[in-house]
Amino acid sequence: MLANNTINAFSIEAKNDHYCGRFTAMASPCELLIETQDHELAQQLTLLAWQESKRIEHKFSRYQKDNLLYQINHAIGSPVVIDDETYRLLSFAQTCYELSDGMFDLSSGILRQAWLFDGSERIPSTQAVNKLLPLIGWSKVRFDHKTIQMPKGMELDLGGIGKEYAVDCVAKLCQLKAPDTSIVVNFGGDIQVTQPRKNQQDWHIGIESLADEKAAIKILKIKNGGLATSGDARRFLIKDGVRYSHILNPKTGYPIMNAPRSVTVAAPHCIQAGLLATLALLHGQQAEAFLQEQNLQFWCYR
Amino acid sequence: MQLSHKPINISAVLATATCALLGVTAAQAEENTELWKFDTALMYYGETDRVTAVEGVIAATKDFGDEHIFSGKLTIDGLTGASATGAVAQPTAQTFTRPSGNGNYEIAAGETPLDDTFHDTRLQLNAQWTQPIAQDLRASGGLQFSNEYDYLSFALNGSLAYDLNQKNTTLSLGLSYALDTIKPEGGIPLALATVAFNPNPEQEDSTEFEDNYNSTRATDSDSKNTLDVMLGLTQVINRRLLMQFNYGLSTVDGYTNDPFKYLSVVDEQGLTQSLVYENRPDTRTRHSFYWQTKYAMDFGVADISYRFATDDWKIDSHTIDSRLRINLSDTTYIQPHFRYYQQAAAEFFQPFMQEGETLPEFASADYRLGEMTAYTLGLKYGMELDNGDELSFRLEYYQQSPKNAGFDEPGVLQDMELYPTVKAVIAQVSYRF
Repeated sequence: MLANNTINAFSIEAKNDHYCGRFTAMASPCELLIETQDHELAQQLTLLAWQESKRIEHKFSRYQKDNLLYQINHAIGSPVVIDDETYRLLSFAQTCYELSDGMFDLSSGILRQAWLFDGSERIPSTQAVNKLLPLIGWSKVRFDHKTIQMPKGMELDLGGIGKEYAVDCVAKLCQLKAPDTSIVVNFGGDIQVTQPRKNQQDWHIGIESLADEKAAIKILKIKNGGLATSGDARRFLIKDGVRYSHILNPKTGYPIMNAPRSVTVAAPHCIQAGLLATLALLHGQQAEAFLQEQNLQFWCYR
Repeated sequence: MQLSHKPINISAVLATATCALLGVTAAQAEENTELWKFDTALMYYGETDRVTAVEGVIAATKDFGDEHIFSGKLTIDGLTGASATGAVAQPTAQTFTRPSGNGNYEIAAGETPLDDTFHDTRLQLNAQWTQPIAQDLRASGGLQFSNEYDYLSFALNGSLAYDLNQKNTTLSLGLSYALDTIKPEGGIPLALATVAFNPNPEQEDSTEFEDNYNSTRATDSDSKNTLDVMLGLTQVINRRLLMQFNYGLSTVDGYTNDPFKYLSVVDEQGLTQSLVYENRPDTRTRHSFYWQTKYAMDFGVADISYRFATDDWKIDSHTIDSRLRINLSDTTYIQPHFRYYQQAAAEFFQPFMQEGETLPEFASADYRLGEMTAYTLGLKYGMELDNGDELSFRLEYYQQSPKNAGFDEPGVLQDMELYPTVKAVIAQVSYRF
């Protein structure tokens, strides 16, 4: 039996050769494409996906006050006990920090206090930005398997990897539940396919185009693996003809200049693709060169 | 941020970190469009007292991405041993002059005459390119070249495959054309000419034999054209069941004889008086109907097929082929194989000719054109190695049993084995990497 409040939380719909499950989580439209004719299975998988997404959202959202991330961000220099999942996410962030020479930094989210990317021309003052710089620095964060500790005033923001992480977790659970079924997990364009379809057909997925406002929906074909997009289609500032992207340099506190407007990367796992897309944006003008060096399939829009 | 000058592979480090984060083992999900894939095999085929063949195959495939696929194959065969000439066994020893005219060989009383000079090396090259040419439409084209000491074959093929019904149905159309040229040592023998016999092969200037031999020769070489058309339908019935139906039309035009095959001309007592070369019609049209079903089960795959073929030589044949793949573990499987084949005799097949009989237009005593049944029993064992390569072993037993299609046997031939059984063992080792 489903509890009453979950009944309208998600919907499922039978399509021509698959089922489509839908719900909203992490401020994104979430979609499951399930290659099955089994209504019951589609329902179970969508419920599973919805529950897992809500679990991750609840645990790591910075908009909620009763969760682990809130405790970490408001510990005022005291150590906070963490679980294994959090430790794995922090270790992953550590690797990304090292790989990017400090450009990928979970503590840089605090710059949002100065920057508001609403399409306007309100560029913050130098003082406002400089005031925040001492509160940024992943190297000041201490963590081990059991606890995390960071200086007072610092904040962590998992927004850069949370959605992709949720996509991978949902895909993993779906695959355990239905090991012979091809399932697409699509959270607002961050995508993971659990396994190829029978007959090796492509999945056709409509995603909102970040680059081309004229063609709002782009049809994407994917067989297997993960896909993620980073960009600033709607989050930017323009002043004196200069476009300020929402990708900020944690070392200067200012946007990365000449970054592509959107980068999409294909990789075995969604979170891997997401990280590579973000790292590419952090390379600014050299985003394409960086991606070429990685020998992966990618699409850059400037 | 500078591009990394350190020899550090960001993707690889990230992949490892991702696996640690998600608690999964490093998946090979990344498509290796860059790499060549190789299949190699070494096969041994040995018939009891007859032909032995050793074949080496190396096949390479490269996926250039977006379903643009090249495949190539190199095959080398070594054949040695003896092959039935078509002449009948006799109660006394028989002496034959070799097909080239150089030297004689003797066959013991009661034995089926085999020509033991049968040895050849065949080299075959194939190349094939496949790519999509429109939505749901794939095209493929290929070339094949095959060369033996006295045989040369050149073939080209093209096909189209169209997917519909969400790729659950595939229609295909294929065409192929082959040109085969044969140039036997000593030349092409005249149809139904009496085979020249050299009573004194040691005598070097036996002009009488040479004149006789040369009088049975028409040309140095001859050729045939083969045109094949194939229509196919593949249908996914459900996620476990797949069916395929094919219709094939094959037309051959040209020299279809085997220049090394004879017919014995016997008298009323069944005693051989002379030998004549065979002669087959210079055209052949064959229709074949093929049905295959593959069924995937939790523990493996069953694959069953049936083929019916009929041609204007009146050779009707039925083939049932079945394989059952049984997964023993995630990385190992065994696959029993059973095949049964049955064919009716060609209308011009006759095991021998009788003296005084009107010479037919076409005649052959080649046992491969006679009535027969054959079966194959085999077992394959395959394993995937830790590095993802695949190693497999195959062992099969093959038995071919020619039958008398209703020919009366005069005199001594009643005591002779005119339809000897052929038994063979096939062993193969394959390695895919």
